[in-house]
Amino acid sequence: MRAVFLGSLILLTILSVIAWRLQPTDSADGRVTLVWVSDDNPARREQIALFHALYPQYRVQLDPSNGGVEKVIVQSLGGVGPDLFDCYDGFQLSAYVRSGVAWDITEELPRLGVDINALWEPLRSYALYEGRIFGFGTNISADAIWYNKDIFDAEGVPYPKGPWKWDAFVKLAQRMTRRDASGRVIRFGFLCDWWNWLHFAYQWGGRIYTPDGTRCIVDSPENIAAVQFLHDLIYRYRVMPGPVEEAAMATQGGWGSGTITRFGAGKAAMALGGRWWLCTLRSYRNLRLGVAESPHARYRIFRAYGKATLINRYSPRRYEALRFLAYQASQAYNDLINRQADGIGPVARYAYTEAFLHNPAHPEEDQNHVWREAVAHSISDQVSPFVSGQVAMRILSRQLDLVKNNQKSPAEALRTAARQINAEIARTLEQDPVLRARYHALAGISSGAGRR
Amino acid sequence: MARMARMALLYLLLTLFAITTLAPFLWMVLTSLKPLEEVERLHPFPSTWRFDNYQQVLVQIPFARYYFNSLFVAAWVTFLTCLTSAMAAFAFARLRWRFRDGVFRLYLATLMVPGVVTMIPNYTLMVKLQLLDSYAGLIVPSAFSAFGTFLLRQFFLTIPAALDEAAEIDGASKWQVFWDVVLPLARPGLITLALFTFMGNYGSFFWPLVLIKSEHLRTLPIGMLFFDSTYGRQTNLLMAASLMNIAPLIVLFVVAQKFLVRGIQMGAVKG
Amino acid sequence: MSRMGGSRARREGWTALGFLLPNLLGFLVFTSGPVLFSLAISFSNWNLQQTVPFRWIGVENYAHMLRDTEFWLYTINTFYFLLGLPVSIAGSLFLALLLSQQIRGVVVYRTLFYLPSFTSGVALMILWKSLYNPDFGLINTVIRNVSDAFHLGITPPEWLLSTKNVLGLEVERIGVARAQWGLGARDAIIIMGIWTAIGGNNMLLYLAALTNIPQELIEAGQIDGAGRWALFRHIVWPQLAPTTFFIVVMSFIGGLQGGFEQARVMTGGGPAGTTTTLSYYIYTRAFEEFQIGYASAVSWTLFALIFVLTWINWRFGNREVHY
Repeated sequence: MRAVFLGSLILLTILSVIAWRLQPTDSADGRVTLVWVSDDNPARREQIALFHALYPQYRVQLDPSNGGVEKVIVQSLGGVGPDLFDCYDGFQLSAYVRSGVAWDITEELPRLGVDINALWEPLRSYALYEGRIFGFGTNISADAIWYNKDIFDAEGVPYPKGPWKWDAFVKLAQRMTRRDASGRVIRFGFLCDWWNWLHFAYQWGGRIYTPDGTRCIVDSPENIAAVQFLHDLIYRYRVMPGPVEEAAMATQGGWGSGTITRFGAGKAAMALGGRWWLCTLRSYRNLRLGVAESPHARYRIFRAYGKATLINRYSPRRYEALRFLAYQASQAYNDLINRQADGIGPVARYAYTEAFLHNPAHPEEDQNHVWREAVAHSISDQVSPFVSGQVAMRILSRQLDLVKNNQKSPAEALRTAARQINAEIARTLEQDPVLRARYHALAGISSGAGRR
Repeated sequence: MARMARMALLYLLLTLFAITTLAPFLWMVLTSLKPLEEVERLHPFPSTWRFDNYQQVLVQIPFARYYFNSLFVAAWVTFLTCLTSAMAAFAFARLRWRFRDGVFRLYLATLMVPGVVTMIPNYTLMVKLQLLDSYAGLIVPSAFSAFGTFLLRQFFLTIPAALDEAAEIDGASKWQVFWDVVLPLARPGLITLALFTFMGNYGSFFWPLVLIKSEHLRTLPIGMLFFDSTYGRQTNLLMAASLMNIAPLIVLFVVAQKFLVRGIQMGAVKG
Repeated sequence: MSRMGGSRARREGWTALGFLLPNLLGFLVFTSGPVLFSLAISFSNWNLQQTVPFRWIGVENYAHMLRDTEFWLYTINTFYFLLGLPVSIAGSLFLALLLSQQIRGVVVYRTLFYLPSFTSGVALMILWKSLYNPDFGLINTVIRNVSDAFHLGITPPEWLLSTKNVLGLEVERIGVARAQWGLGARDAIIIMGIWTAIGGNNMLLYLAALTNIPQELIEAGQIDGAGRWALFRHIVWPQLAPTTFFIVVMSFIGGLQGGFEQARVMTGGGPAGTTTTLSYYIYTRAFEEFQIGYASAVSWTLFALIFVLTWINWRFGNREVHY
C-alpha cells in the first residue's frame, strides 16, 4: 500500500513538473502584453493586427472567454484581471466604476492628445461617468431595416425607403409574410431581437428612469404602448416569429445571434439590425441586401448602442494600456472599423468622408449614409446611480420574456418591473448612506419625481 | 410455460429501459458524426459520416491541454482525498481519544451543508490567498472530504481489531499498523473512494467556471462550452468533445464497477 | 508490549491528532470555517462594491428576504423539483426488483442503467435541450406522430419554453391558476432528473439490500402460500425500510441543493424564473450582482431548511423503520 501511494505521489509530482513547464511563458521578445477582454470575431483580429503594425512594442492578446461584468470585476479585484475590457452600456459602466475596477483617466487621456468630445455624442455615456473619463469608444451602432432584395424582387414589391412610420411598415411586412396551405408561416415579414424593445420605447417617448435617475418609470403609457406594438407584431399582425417559432428556426454555426443567421438564410424579408451584421452577412454569397432607415413612431430617434474599452485600475500595465485607447481615437482605427462595417467607428468626423460612403471592396454597399444618419439621430440608454444595472436588467428581461410568451400584458409586466426596480432603489438607499444623501438632494430639486 | 412468459416479460422490460438510457448516447454518437447542417435534422443518420469532426475538435480548441488539466486536477484531488481521509478515518475507527464522537458527528453534519454556502467564503479565501486562476485553487479546497472520512471509517470498522492488536504485540507502531495492516485490508474501500472522488471531480463545473481565467488552465467541461457559445454553435463538435471527455469514465466504470457497487452499499447500509 | 491503561488514551490522543490533522485542517479551513464566515457576513451589507462602506446590519438581510417575493417563489420552485423523487425512488426499486430475479447479464444491464449517472454534465443537458425542442425535438415528434396515428388531437407541450406545470402554480405570484396547468420547463427538468437518477446509486443500494434479505424469510412466506404482492408487501418491503429511509433522506438533501447546472445550461433560470432554484438564486445574487451579504443570508436559510427537514425525517421516518 505504501508503494501505491508513494508511486502515485511520484507520478503526480512528475506530472506537476510537466504542467508547470507547459505554462505559456510571457512574451520573451520584450513586447508588452496587454490582455483585452472582448468578443472574438474576425474583425477584432484585424483591429489588433493593425495595432501591432502601428506599435510593434505591444502585443494585444484577445480573451473572449472571460467576458461578463461579474467575471471582470471579481477577477480584477482578485488580481488576475485583464488590462483592457469592453463595456457594453451605461449600466455596465456604473458597475465597473462602482466596484472600483475602472481606472479614472480624466487626467491621463487628454495628455495623449485624445479628445473625448470627438466621440459620437451617444457613445460618451459609455466612457463618461458623472463627468469623469473612464475609457474610450470602440464602435457604435443604431439599427435600421435590412431587407432581402431577392425576396422583394420575387414579390414584385418596390424596396422600402425612409423616413417612414410603423403603420406603413406593418402593411409592408404583412405583404411580405408567406404562409403555406395549412396557415403555417414559411417566411416571416420581419425579424427583431426582443431585447431591442428600447429602440421602440424611445420612439414612443418612453424612458426607463426619471431624468435624475431617482425613480423607475418603465411603466409609463409610452413604454407600454411601445411594448404593446412589439407584442402586436407577433400576436396581432403575425409578421414576426414568437418564441416557439423562433426555436423552430434555430440555426447552427456562423458568427452572431440567431436573428442574423435566420435573416441570412432567407427566413424573413426584413429585419431590424445594425451595420455590424455585415461582419456575418458579407459571407453569405447569394444574399442581396438593402438598407432602409428604421420606421419611427412619434419621435424619429433610434437607440444607440456600442461599446467602450476601459482600463483595469489594478493592472500593472495600465499606463501602457492607454496607448490602445489612443489608437481607438486614431483615423487609422476608425477607417478600419468603417471599412469592416463593425458598426461605425467611435469618432464621428471620420464617418463624414467619401471613404465611409463608398468602400471600393464592396461597391454593392451603397447605402452607408443610412447608417450614419441613424447614429446621428440616436440616443443612448439611461443609467440610474441608485440601482444596480444588473438587477434592473434581470427584472426587465424577465418581465419582457413573459410578454413575449404572451403570458402577461405589457402594462402588467412593466408595472411589475417598475415596482420591483423601485423597491431595489429603496433598498440601495437603505444600505448606502452616500447615495441616500445624494438621492435626497436630487429628490428635493425635482419635485414629485422622488416620491417614495 | 408461465415461467417462460414471465422471464420474457422481465427481459423485455429491462431491455426497454436499457434502450431509453442508451438512446441518448447513440444519438450523441450519431450527432457527433454529422455535418453541421444536419445536426438539427431529425433523421438519425448522417448523409456523410464526418469522422474528421473529432479531429476538428482537436484543431479548434486546445483539447489535449484541457484533457490533461481535467485528468491532472482530478488525479491530485483523488490522491489527496484518499490519503487524508484514510488517516482521519483511522483516527476515528481505531484510536481512542476525547471528543472523538463529537467531532465525528460534526463531520457528518457538514454533509448537509449546501455547496453554495461554502462557495462564497471559499472564493474570497482563494482571492486572499492569491489562488485564483491556478491549479492549486482547483485542487486544494476539494482535497478534504468529510464524505471520504465517513466512508472509509465504515470500511475500517469491518476489519477485525484483533489484527492490529496482533501487529502491535509484534512491536508495530500505530503508523505501521495503519499502512501495513488496515490499509491493505481496506483496499476495496479506498478504490471506491478513489472512483467516487475522481468521477465527481472530473465532471465538476461550477468551481472551475468561477475560478479559472486562463486558457491553459481550463478543464474540459468549461473548455467545451466553446462549442455552445452564442458565436458559432457547433453541436456536432460539442458532442464529439463530450464523448471523448466521458470515455475514460466509462472505461473506469466498466473495469471497477464491482468495487463501486460494494462501496455504495458499505457507505449507506452500515451507516 | 502492554501499556498502562491510564496513559494509553492520552498517548493515543496525540497519535490521533497526528492522523487527523491533515484532514481536520482542510476541514476547518474549507468547510466549517466558511460555514461560520458565511453566517457572519449574512449579517452585513457586504457587496464588493467599494463605494458602499462595510457595515453590520443585523438581521436586515433576513428581514428583507421575508419580503422578497422572488425568494418565496424560488423556494416553491425548489420544493417543486422534489416532486420527481417518489417516482425516481419507486423506479429505482422497481428496476432493482427486476434485476434481482435470476437473470443473465446483470452486469450489462447495471452498466447501461448507470450510464446517465456519471455523464450527467453539460453535454447531456444540451442534448436534452434539443430533445425538448417544441418543434423538431425528438420528444414532440413522437408525441405528434402518436397523436396523429390514433387521432388523439394532442397538442404537444412547449417544454422548456413554457411556464406551465402539473400543479398549475402561477407565475410570479404565490397561488394556483387553471391556465397554468400543463407540462412546462420545470416538468421537463424533473423528467430529465428521473431519467438520470433512476438507474443510478439508488438502484444499486436497493439491489444490495435485496440480496441481503435472508432467503429463509422468503421461503417461509412461500410455504405460507403468500402471493407475489403479499410477499413483497409483508416481507420484502419491511426489510428494505432502512435502505428506503436512507435514500429518502439523501435524496431530500441533494434535491434541495440542486438545480444549479440545469438552470445555468438549459434555461438561464427561465422562463420567467420558473426554473430558478434557491441555489441558482444565490449564485446570481452573489456572482452576478455581488450582494454577498444577502446571498449568504439566503444560503444560510437554505442550510437551515435542509437541516430541519433532515431532522424531521430522522425523527419521524426512523420510527416507522422496522429493524
